[in-house]
Amino acid sequence: MNPVLQVADLRKSFGGIAAVDGVSFQVDEGEILGIIGPNGSGKSTLFNCVLGQLTPSSGEVRVDGRRTTGMRPCDLNRLGVSRTFQLLQVFPQLSVRDNLILAGQEHQGSMVSRLFGRADAGLGEGADRMLDFFRLSHFAAQPAGSLSYGQQKLLDAAMAFMAGPRLVLLDEPAGGVNLTMLSHLRERLQAYHAERKATFVVIEHQMEFVMALCTRVLVLAEGRIIAEGAPAAVRRNPVVIEAYLGH
Amino acid sequence: MASFIQLLISGLATGAIYALIAVGFTLLWQTSQTINFAQGEFVMLPAFFVLAAMNWGAPFWLAALIGIAAALVVLGLLFKLIVVDPMLRYGVLPLVISTIALSLLLKESVKDFYSAQAQAFPPLVPDADVHLFGAVVSTQSLVVLGVAIATVAALHLWLNKTRTGRSMQATAQNPALARILGIPVQRMVLYTFLVNAVLVAIASILISPIYLAKFTNGETLGTAAFIAAIIGGFNQVRGAILGGIILGVLDNLSAAYLSSQYRGAFPLLILIAVILCRPQGLLGRVEERTV
Repeated sequence: MNPVLQVADLRKSFGGIAAVDGVSFQVDEGEILGIIGPNGSGKSTLFNCVLGQLTPSSGEVRVDGRRTTGMRPCDLNRLGVSRTFQLLQVFPQLSVRDNLILAGQEHQGSMVSRLFGRADAGLGEGADRMLDFFRLSHFAAQPAGSLSYGQQKLLDAAMAFMAGPRLVLLDEPAGGVNLTMLSHLRERLQAYHAERKATFVVIEHQMEFVMALCTRVLVLAEGRIIAEGAPAAVRRNPVVIEAYLGH
Repeated sequence: MASFIQLLISGLATGAIYALIAVGFTLLWQTSQTINFAQGEFVMLPAFFVLAAMNWGAPFWLAALIGIAAALVVLGLLFKLIVVDPMLRYGVLPLVISTIALSLLLKESVKDFYSAQAQAFPPLVPDADVHLFGAVVSTQSLVVLGVAIATVAALHLWLNKTRTGRSMQATAQNPALARILGIPVQRMVLYTFLVNAVLVAIASILISPIYLAKFTNGETLGTAAFIAAIIGGFNQVRGAILGGIILGVLDNLSAAYLSSQYRGAFPLLILIAVILCRPQGLLGRVEERTV
């Protein structure tokens, strides 16, 4: 089993306070790794270091064995690392379909085809399949900004999959989504995972969502990993209950 | 009725030119938060590029192409590199003040280095009259209208039907996301400046035969484009087109039917009404900005 993502002794401090304090883990191909932890435990900082939005103070990140520490987000995107956003990010006045095409287009085509090439960049069919898969075909021609919050979350996920990524990092996909939409989103993510053997890392607060979706869970507290294992085992772990579920 | 049609068509022609200028204005705003107060001078200048090329012996059509090329370099590339890029990092206001300074520089340079006199500028087609629905319309107006419509249509097709066009729209709507997705945001912004340069150069070639090429032309044109953009909606290309056309038609009709003395006041009255009743413009969206 090849590790898709390897994080080694990653540290990030802000003004002397270590937000991430020596975190190491790896994600194997086809895994869905959940990262949970109380507010302020360093989840988002860890995520941002992996995604190139923050430069870690020390430590190393590798994608498919290749060192990516400090790489820019767009270069990581080209290497097949894509992401969804905690705070929604879409192009609000462009159609849902165009949003999907934009999410995939920088992965193909030459310089000439960019300037005057057809607008769908050969991605029209892929976009339609993705719309179909996430049950968004209905809204294909509507401006993305007119969708409901939950639908935009689905679109956000669909955009992350457009380029056929190696690794998808989902940043609180359940945040602010109602329960019906949430189970739909989880079910679609599982279906995608089953179909493509895709590799995910999910940061999430919503316990049920993580427990149902992930194959392995990692618990962060105060910038360190305090527990790791199968969802059911982590849930029973007294250290985790103390730090996170202990209310 | 005949005179109404005549006034309407010449108004549409003027309005179409205003629309071209206003479209460039709103495009710059959308992709780079540049409010270009030198936009009027940007329209004044290319006519002098064309005249200079003709003085060197180039035929009109070649001179027009040279004028557009010079506009691309000076008003597109150099404007972005020398004025906008260094100033924008200090915020919108310093940039606005810089564009005002640039407008003065362009105006005074043309006066000093070319001429303070209004220069005759060759029309695209020989002047003749055409009878249309019983009205006498000049070929000039029809050609201006045709070229302006073709330009806007080409721009519309490019923005909506090509990959680069869509990337430019994406850059305008959410630059942070566009950057993460790997869209070359800076290049898209540069394209917008080049598009604006072409639009003002075409507007310059269309309007100079009517107004003559004069260093002060930018004053009225810049104001007209600014008002057109606000009336139509600052953040919408089609708003700028509508605003420009309303302005051109209104100007002609009010001068003929209401008062030629106060013709300059009517656009301002509409401007005030729009700002009071619909501040986002007739077709504009209310802007929400995230910080």
